[in-house]
Amino acid sequence: MLAMLAKLLKVLNSDASPAQIALGFAFALFVGLTPFFSLHNLIILFLVCIIRVNLSGFFLASAVFALIAFITDPFSIQLGEFLLQHAELQAFWTELYQSDMWRAFKFNHTLLLGSVVLACILFIPVWILFTVLIKLYRTKLMAWFEKLKIVKFLKASKFYQAYERLGA
Amino acid sequence: MTKWIRWSGLIGFIVIATLIVCFWLFAAGPLTKLAIESFGSDALGAKVDVDEVRYGLNPLTVTVKGVQLTDKDKPMENIFSFDQAVANIEPFPLLLGKAIIPDVRLEGMATGTQRQSSGALAKVEKKNDVSADSQDQTSEKSKSETAEPKSQTLPSADEILEREALLTESRGEALKQAYENHTQNIETAMNNLPTDQSIKEYEARLNTIMKGKFKSLDDFKQRKKALDDLKAQWKKDKQAIADAKSAVKTGKSDLKQKLTELKAAPKEDIANIKSKYTLDGAGASNVTALLFGDDAGGYATTALEYYEKVRPLLVDEEAKAAKQELKEKRLEGRFIHFPTDRPQPDFWVKTMNFTLALPKMGEQTVSSGDVAVKVVDITHQQEVINRPTVVRATGQNLKDIASLTIDGVLDHRQTPGKDQFTFNVDDWQLKKVKLGLAGLRLDRGLVDIQGQALVQSGQLKLNSEAVFNQSQFSSKDRTVLAKEMVAALKTIPTFTVNAKAKGELTKPSVNISSDLDAQLSAAFDERLAQKQRELENKLKAKLNDKLMSYAGDYESQLKQLNLSEGSLSSKSKALEKLGKSELSSYEDQLKAEAKAKQDAEKAKAKAEADRKQKELEKKAKEKLKSLF
Repeated sequence: MLAMLAKLLKVLNSDASPAQIALGFAFALFVGLTPFFSLHNLIILFLVCIIRVNLSGFFLASAVFALIAFITDPFSIQLGEFLLQHAELQAFWTELYQSDMWRAFKFNHTLLLGSVVLACILFIPVWILFTVLIKLYRTKLMAWFEKLKIVKFLKASKFYQAYERLGA
Repeated sequence: MTKWIRWSGLIGFIVIATLIVCFWLFAAGPLTKLAIESFGSDALGAKVDVDEVRYGLNPLTVTVKGVQLTDKDKPMENIFSFDQAVANIEPFPLLLGKAIIPDVRLEGMATGTQRQSSGALAKVEKKNDVSADSQDQTSEKSKSETAEPKSQTLPSADEILEREALLTESRGEALKQAYENHTQNIETAMNNLPTDQSIKEYEARLNTIMKGKFKSLDDFKQRKKALDDLKAQWKKDKQAIADAKSAVKTGKSDLKQKLTELKAAPKEDIANIKSKYTLDGAGASNVTALLFGDDAGGYATTALEYYEKVRPLLVDEEAKAAKQELKEKRLEGRFIHFPTDRPQPDFWVKTMNFTLALPKMGEQTVSSGDVAVKVVDITHQQEVINRPTVVRATGQNLKDIASLTIDGVLDHRQTPGKDQFTFNVDDWQLKKVKLGLAGLRLDRGLVDIQGQALVQSGQLKLNSEAVFNQSQFSSKDRTVLAKEMVAALKTIPTFTVNAKAKGELTKPSVNISSDLDAQLSAAFDERLAQKQRELENKLKAKLNDKLMSYAGDYESQLKQLNLSEGSLSSKSKALEKLGKSELSSYEDQLKAEAKAKQDAEKAKAKAEADRKQKELEKKAKEKLKSLF
């Protein structure tokens, strides 16, 4: 937990662009909220590799969203059930179902579809929100924040120093 | 835009992906081998061995070499094995963990091959350690006997006696128990009886009491008391004798009844066994074997054996699939399937082709041709593909059969599953087929067989018709039965035999009818009856042995009880007589003494009266003298 907090501080205080950090957070929605061993996550990993997003932010947020998934899973399942059972969408799903490639994405799984749709819905808002928040943090809060005793304590901690030495 | 592209990331991704693919290419084979062995063993309940699994990329194929599926009931044998199987695999479903195999070709397929090592699973081996050890020490003959399921052969007299709950045995045990109980009761009663010595002592004591005359009233009272004591003792002994008599009588009656029941038991056992094993005993194979010899019965048993081995795989998987569906719905969401002409169950072999050698009737090692088997839609999730598993076996290059087809539909889309088979054999040239009794042999004949079988919820329903043409029979035997059979059969070159089986798959009730004339039917009946009589005689002999083991000693014991009863009666009478006779002479003596005393007193009184009368007479005479 302490290491994660140190990582977060490191990321927020780095020179990385707020948009790139926030984009990492947004991509992490997919990895965190949806079942990990799915074909779409391979695409997300590919995108994260080739797009200049902040990798630390991505992995950190993936871990956080994976925890949040325990809360959102029931909702995701309901959403998936609703979409897959929706009468007007039957023709669409049936058409996708005829393709082996689409089925390889497990789109007809309630949790997977629900969580992917949830991640898609939240992708842009999370990107924008975190871009704004990081900018706000850096302009308004960073100086004040670094003066806090807890932050000083964290920076003085072995974790943070080790983290610094590794150059993460 | 290029500001947003991370070229190093792209290269890294490609390198990692390539490494993963390379790893998969090397590891997939061994991993698949492990998966087949592990899941296969679990499903089969016995070891599944695979020598090697190799993947090819273009097209995606898998080659499996040296597969052996152990026979669960015979760990040193394989149900079937094959040298090589080449299967095409659809790549996209594989990403979902689904093995969709459009076509499998098996080469070098064989059944019943010997294994180098035991194929029993570790747990099963542990459970059967003791029996396995003991089996090792038995002879080869007994090994083969124990390995063979009982339902495959006509049960012997020993097997029937072992299998059945016999009245002879239960009643024999009851008699034994009753004898022990009664013996104990009688012994207890006998121990309370007066001995001959004690009866003599009674006599001596009685003589002492009765000897001589009473000296005084006290003497009389003393003797009376002694006599009363003696009488009380007699009474007690008489009761003991009565009790012993009752115990002997009860025991005798009970043992007699039980012995009678035991003597009747073998007959009742025979009747019960006859009704059970007449024609509906140990299944279709038995009846087939009875009529057409073990060779023909072998085909039926082999078919049943293999069917029973395959069926649990389908049935178990139905339950597993239902459980899995339920689990996914509760915890992890679920898959929703849509109408498609491209269904994807977890495992699906769309087509499998292989060839089996058909052993010649009566000569298992000689092939009479091949049977090409095509199995379509092998999967444990038939509800997903919405198609049943279809089997079609066709004879190829058959020497003695014009055509052979077997069609099977194993439909487990709904519970309970339904398995249907139809079979058709045209112009089967039977030559020198032993018929098993009276040296009867079918020298030649053409047989057309048609049949249907349905298995649902473990219940078999089979109808078949065999039309025999140009049949010629002979027999080496010189018995009346053999001669009559041959004579009767000579006049009838064509006949039809209908066989029906119904009931539990392992022991269906079988009915066979034929359109042969009355003479042949009688001969047939006689043949069957003789078979039964042979069995019946063996059973009788064995049951009589059992009867003798129970009843042998008890007959003499019962006679002994009769003697005991007689002895007790005489003893009781003797004691009663002794008591009564001695008692009456004592009373007589008392009366005689009283009478004597009374007589003496009377005599004395009379004498006194006479004396007084004489005195008065004298006085009167003297007074009269004085007057005159």
